[in-house]
Amino acid sequence: MKRAASLPARVLWNAFFWTYERATWQYDVMVIAILAFVWLTPPSWLGDPMASGSGPIGWLLEQAGR
Amino acid sequence: MTFTGLVGRICMLPLQLIIRACVALRIHPNVLTFVGVLINVLAAWALGLGQFLTAGVIMIVANIFDFIDGKVAHELNAVSPFGGFWDSVIDRFSDISLFIGLIYLYSSLDRTDYVMITALAMMFAIMTSYTRARAESLIQKCKVGFMERPERIVLFMIGAFTNRMAAVLWVILVLSIFTVADRIIYTYRELRSTREAIA
Repeated sequence: MKRAASLPARVLWNAFFWTYERATWQYDVMVIAILAFVWLTPPSWLGDPMASGSGPIGWLLEQAGR
Repeated sequence: MTFTGLVGRICMLPLQLIIRACVALRIHPNVLTFVGVLINVLAAWALGLGQFLTAGVIMIVANIFDFIDGKVAHELNAVSPFGGFWDSVIDRFSDISLFIGLIYLYSSLDRTDYVMITALAMMFAIMTSYTRARAESLIQKCKVGFMERPERIVLFMIGAFTNRMAAVLWVILVLSIFTVADRIIYTYRELRSTREAIA
């Protein structure tokens, strides 16, 4: 997995089989990725029973559809 | 300085004041731990009623107690094996109570899909702690995997304050599964290398 794998595969491997400490740049990247998923994913895509509004991506899609 | 490191340092400033106040009042750390879980039960109640903003505020208060108990124990020279055990056990109660609050909410909304997602997230959150505790009875350290308790708590708060709990539950579920798998694989490898070194 270490040498032969392509860069995206290695990134995914390191993201899911996590060995980094907190407050490292890798941790920052992971946090940003999680926040992006939580805040940008339209709640309707996940069938969120409580969320209101369509979120930034949903809003952009709505604007594009007009 | 990383972004998360900076956030951590900023959050530590008010916490230092609270720690100093608790040390000055000589509040026993085990009491702080217990008060933390009681407040977390209130947060779970608010989650169960769908009052996410209230739950978020209560979670902040509860987790201040959760966070400072260990530091106060150090300052008061009251660190003890029982204190560590008590803290770990009470933390599980806090974790589970938040999930139960959400299970109650989603079941009252007739959303069996999210009842299942929350229940699975709860199961893997508990297994995250259990795999580490069990692994560390066999090997020296098993601190691998991203989704540990502080990450889970911060995610719960983000979900509550921004009303994006469903997305948060998906993140907790998926990353907890990987954390558990990570810990099992890591422990297997460590034990195998020890066995090979002896042979």
